[in-house]
Amino acid sequence: MRRQVPLLALAALSVGGCVQTQQYADLQFAPPQGDYKLLVLRPDIQVGAVTTGGLVEARADWTEQARANVIAALRAQQAGRGGQTLILDRRDSLAAVPAEQVAELERLNAAVDQSIALHKYSGVSLPTKRRRGLDYTLGSDAVRFGQRTGYDYALFLHAEDSFASQGRVALQVLGIAGCFIGFCAPNVGGAGQFAYASLVDLRTGEVVWFNVLQAGSQVAGLKMGDLRTPDGAAQMVERLLGLMKPGREVRRAQAAQRARP
Amino acid sequence: MTSLSRRTMLAGAGATALFGGTAASARIDPASLTPMVGPGYRPQDPDERGMWQQMARVEEEIAGSNLLVQDPALNRYLQGLVGKVGGPATSDLRVYLARVPEFNAMMFPTGFAVVFTGLLLRMRDEAQLAGVLAHESSHFLLKHQLRQWRDTRRKTDIYSFASMLGGVVGGAAGYYTGNLDQLAQLGTILTLLRYNRQLEAEADALGIKLIAQAGYAPLSMAETWQQLIGEIELSAAVRRKRPDRGYSIFADHPAPRDRMIDLTASATGLTVPGRRYDRGRERYLAAIAAIRPTLLDDQVKLNDAGASQYVIQTLAQDGWNGLLRFYEGESLRLRNTPDYDARAALSYAAAVAYPDAPADAWRWHGIALMKAGRRDESHAALQRYLALAPSAPDAPFVRQMLAS
Repeated sequence: MRRQVPLLALAALSVGGCVQTQQYADLQFAPPQGDYKLLVLRPDIQVGAVTTGGLVEARADWTEQARANVIAALRAQQAGRGGQTLILDRRDSLAAVPAEQVAELERLNAAVDQSIALHKYSGVSLPTKRRRGLDYTLGSDAVRFGQRTGYDYALFLHAEDSFASQGRVALQVLGIAGCFIGFCAPNVGGAGQFAYASLVDLRTGEVVWFNVLQAGSQVAGLKMGDLRTPDGAAQMVERLLGLMKPGREVRRAQAAQRARP
Repeated sequence: MTSLSRRTMLAGAGATALFGGTAASARIDPASLTPMVGPGYRPQDPDERGMWQQMARVEEEIAGSNLLVQDPALNRYLQGLVGKVGGPATSDLRVYLARVPEFNAMMFPTGFAVVFTGLLLRMRDEAQLAGVLAHESSHFLLKHQLRQWRDTRRKTDIYSFASMLGGVVGGAAGYYTGNLDQLAQLGTILTLLRYNRQLEAEADALGIKLIAQAGYAPLSMAETWQQLIGEIELSAAVRRKRPDRGYSIFADHPAPRDRMIDLTASATGLTVPGRRYDRGRERYLAAIAAIRPTLLDDQVKLNDAGASQYVIQTLAQDGWNGLLRFYEGESLRLRNTPDYDARAALSYAAAVAYPDAPADAWRWHGIALMKAGRRDESHAALQRYLALAPSAPDAPFVRQMLAS
């Protein structure tokens, strides 16, 4: 009986990490291709350390590193799709619109994102929006914003990353060591990555695509991506934005086309 | 459910005591505190830099909020006042005035404060307001948010490790430690809250020292708390509820009464006998004159009759005027019973006797007279209302009423 315990601990370690995404798209959404103009509004990046007690301590140096990496990765990825991309780092860097108007669009988007998170991801689904893809809009303000700036799409991006401190790793070692004497706590949890992005069509004002990425492990010290490195940032951008699924009606039309001889 | 054994209880009590217990702390001597922050202070350590970076974004959001009161003269006044009581950080502090009808102000770790309009309504003079701003400045000067974070980090680290180690040792010895662990967890939470109360007491102590240095009456801070206690009690009494006096081991601030007692004791030590202290009442009233009707209106519309009554009567200790009498009437009228309507009518009648009575006082005075059957006097009052507010939304309706 005692001999099985370490094996169980190993099994727990091997299933401890996972990466998952879940995206929603407007029914008529076709991922932007070719000659389009994309505006990325102030990517919101936060990186911190997980303390022994499990709190996340913000780290300014890691955050700045991660922000630079994510912006570089975004630029490279969008260039591959043929789009023209402008990444706003400050609210006042658009000549055509005052900073206050950019702030208003950001706040409106934040409120809509919260609503999407609640009704699409947290299980509180709305009967009126069932089976209708992503049915949210930023309204005429976003359309006017698009007209004034000349951009087709606005992308909002939020990413958090955290890494286990030495104390957290030590706590896990203790938890695993306990498995040998009858008190087993191997899954204290360590690092974690969480990101979401929303794409707004500035010609209609509609939120046309939304994706949430979660990557984390139950094992302190095991990384499932690292925004502090260029590779990790590119991996996150690819996981989050790489495979944009078209909307249901577009997929149906494509399937019908393929079925035709 | 497993019952707690005596041994577990004792061990749990030990664990709680380990973190310092939860007994009430003694008053902190203002002389024992000195600012930890100098002019142009920048963050020093990784945890502080992380906190400052997050706060930069928070401040950007607050600075652009549509809740802020956009009155340049009033904002300059507040900025000047926080400058007077900000100690060495005087030129680094920023104040934002938010339109929230609640008695509150808060300081953020990078040196900006948010003051609610409900606070401005309740202050009788500049000395009282300086006391609150000095308390908030002290949070920054003593690096409270950072120390709070470090305290939380340290205690949750200790708790997590002790809890894991306890489990392992208990597991080896065949002894169930779950109950002990729960007690230790509760102990950790209580000691975190206790530390927060200690920091609040520190901010009171340094704050009173700062206003005394700036030449304000040290007793004004204790008066502010006396007023808050009175308001809480009358508000509860009118609603037939027991007042929440905040005497709880779960409270994150010291009880108002304890703060008042400590501040009174400190004020006694800091007040120079025979010295005349300027309360800055005229300056204060001039600064808030433009928004005072809005402040009163927001308060009365909370429909917290006891609190509104207490606040208005407290302000009226310095003399009644048309504005205060009118809002006294509004607060009574909103209670919506015939008795209170009659009392409201008396307040409106008193309000219109002052030269500064707002136009609405004449309208409600006219309506009350109409209800009392005094038609001619009522018409005169309503004519006066129309003369004062010819473009009021209900002016055409009132004109029609007078014509018929």
